[in-house]
Amino acid sequence: MRNILGVVALAFGISVLVPLAGAQAPVQQGQQGNQQQTPQTAPPPAQQTPPPPNLTPAPVGPIIVLDPAHGGTDTGARGQNAVMEKDLVLQMARGVKAELERQGFRVVMTRNDDSNPSYDDRAAMANAYRDAIFISLHVASTGTVGSIRTYYEQMSAPEVSSAGTANPAGKVAPPPVSSRVNSWNDAQRAYLNASRHLADLMQIVLVQRFSGSEPTPLGAAVRELRSVAAPAVAIELSSVSAPDPNTLANSAVPPLAEAIARAVSALRATSPGGAKQ
Amino acid sequence: MTRNWKIFIALLAVGVVIGLISLRSLHRRMARLAQTQVTEEQARHEVLAPPVSTPTDVPVKASIFWAGGPDGVAPVQIELPLSADPVQRSRQLLHALIADPPTPDQRTLPADTDLLGFYILPDGTAIADFSDALSTETPSGILSERMAVNSIAKTLGSNVPGLLRLKILIHGQEVDTLAGHIDLTGFFDLSPPAQQAATPEPASAPSASPGAALPKAPAGNAAPPAH
Repeated sequence: MRNILGVVALAFGISVLVPLAGAQAPVQQGQQGNQQQTPQTAPPPAQQTPPPPNLTPAPVGPIIVLDPAHGGTDTGARGQNAVMEKDLVLQMARGVKAELERQGFRVVMTRNDDSNPSYDDRAAMANAYRDAIFISLHVASTGTVGSIRTYYEQMSAPEVSSAGTANPAGKVAPPPVSSRVNSWNDAQRAYLNASRHLADLMQIVLVQRFSGSEPTPLGAAVRELRSVAAPAVAIELSSVSAPDPNTLANSAVPPLAEAIARAVSALRATSPGGAKQ
Repeated sequence: MTRNWKIFIALLAVGVVIGLISLRSLHRRMARLAQTQVTEEQARHEVLAPPVSTPTDVPVKASIFWAGGPDGVAPVQIELPLSADPVQRSRQLLHALIADPPTPDQRTLPADTDLLGFYILPDGTAIADFSDALSTETPSGILSERMAVNSIAKTLGSNVPGLLRLKILIHGQEVDTLAGHIDLTGFFDLSPPAQQAATPEPASAPSASPGAALPKAPAGNAAPPAH
């Protein structure tokens, strides 16, 4: 009898202690793992202490890279009274960024002053992110005032590809290293379908908000888009010749932000986390 | 009135008459000079971009692409004497494209643009070398620059058999962009299947009713350029 009671007591003791030890182990491991990055202890379970009510959820989804075109000595299109495309697109980009961030999107800009990053620098900013969407903003010299158009990259015809063929400079072009290696100059080529899809989605919304706009986007060899390794489009508002281009640019911000938000969300819904064709 | 005063007045009157005659003559000479300057400008233009005519020219209904339509450029049929030689034929077409738009609104290339050179490589690459005016006077913008390039590419592609792609130079040099937007470092496809890709046909018009849900655009409908 005493033996039986001893065995029962031992079993009870083990059944109580083992779960406790098991429950502590991950916490310790977690604390050890977090010590180098965050000295604070792990947060308590959510059920016991809810987060502060003013804490906004961390933004998720792709990084939207807004590119106000031109800048510095590159003024872009010029209107009357010293109106310049570079200033209008910066004004628009700042407004769109604020609006998108208010909706929870993560947004960065290729420039936030009168600088003029190179085309490659602008592309590099988007290419630095694992999941980015590149949107270049322009204001045209021509076109129906108040209309807007989205463009996706139309890659130029490749150079003569046969190995050993002389190029116009007289040098012999080497054979392609590998079809799987993307050239920086052709980085957009792998994303053409996703960019076309994004442009379609965007123009569908824009045509409802900007009267006089055509319902479909167009392909064009836009220089900014060529080296972007992500879905990329250019949006061009017409035009610097409007009676008041600054008012036009300001009024374009809310519908532009709406179009970008809806198109990015729809793109993610159809190709979550992926972009390549 | 003394005799001296009479002589003075007479000399003054003669001076006024001579001055008036000289003024008219001067005016005529200035007008002639201005006319001569225009003629010299025209002569320079003609030297740089001569109206090309060859013994093989035959009147042809050519499709010249000027501004128009939702895609930016649209063909206009005009009768042109065109050479059988592809280089001369291309020069004739580009000369017509620059010089003869039906209306000013349909112009796609600046009027001052000169075609400085045109060559065709054995692999079907056409090289068109334009004067600085193409770059400096084309309105800056994706819309206008795309229209300029497409009008050149489509006019050549539609009327000159055997051309596969086009390289545009400005004053003999490769430039980054036409006027800040459209990439000129590459080649523009002229072959028939890729022409459709260069300016794709508009997709089926989506529903544009306000508040409508976003329709799913067909993925993969962008025809990539030919390799």
